[in-house]
Amino acid sequence: MASFSCFDRQMDSIRKIQAKLPFELLCWISALVGIMFIDPHSAHHFTLCPLSLAGIDWCPGCGLGRSMKLFAIGEFKASFQMHPLGAFAWVIIPYRIFDIIKQLKTRLNYG
Amino acid sequence: MANVLKHLPELEGMELGYIQGILKNMDDEQAGLFAQVYRARRKDNQMVLILALLGFFGFAGLHRFVLGQIGLGILYFFTLGLCWIGTIVDLVNYKSLAYEYNIKVAHETLSMMSYSAENFTNNNDNKTKTDEA
Repeated sequence: MASFSCFDRQMDSIRKIQAKLPFELLCWISALVGIMFIDPHSAHHFTLCPLSLAGIDWCPGCGLGRSMKLFAIGEFKASFQMHPLGAFAWVIIPYRIFDIIKQLKTRLNYG
Repeated sequence: MANVLKHLPELEGMELGYIQGILKNMDDEQAGLFAQVYRARRKDNQMVLILALLGFFGFAGLHRFVLGQIGLGILYFFTLGLCWIGTIVDLVNYKSLAYEYNIKVAHETLSMMSYSAENFTNNNDNKTKTDEA
């Protein structure tokens, strides 16, 4: 029993970090940061997309990241042509990030 | 002090601890009322998991709709769960999604209960006043 107590403490600290810095918040922020590094005009790009890695060429979400980047640098028309939901995503995802941050203080324990 | 295991035995993990923190200030009758309302409104994390899994078959984002995040639900639905990436993230994260929603429900339930308790005491006050008159 005694040998497991140190793991308990480690798991506890991991849980506390998780409560302060939720996994979903990290995902959204790194997604937005990643999008700002996209070059929307290059023909080939490095991809994380599991569908394209599996050899499927088209999916309805293709171009969303490039569309968001185009929107951020002010090319609104090109952004809409790349993917119509680019501007919508710029509203929804920051709102979600704000929402998660707002809930941080009530997340761990009541009272 | 009411025990969470007596009133809401189906809870587990973080949610169990959180609700115990709420119930420790209540007597058994209040806790029974809270449990009744809370149980009817909370979402089970297994349902979130199953709805998120549907994202692999073309119906992405249903779990976001169910959890009241309509904007993200629309975004997921029309982009196949952000090209599966969002769906996979939510499959990892389904427990905290449900936990977050259930905490909101618990706070709503609490504020409703304190509101109806105030009304109840006001009514009693009025009744005693009319009795005196």
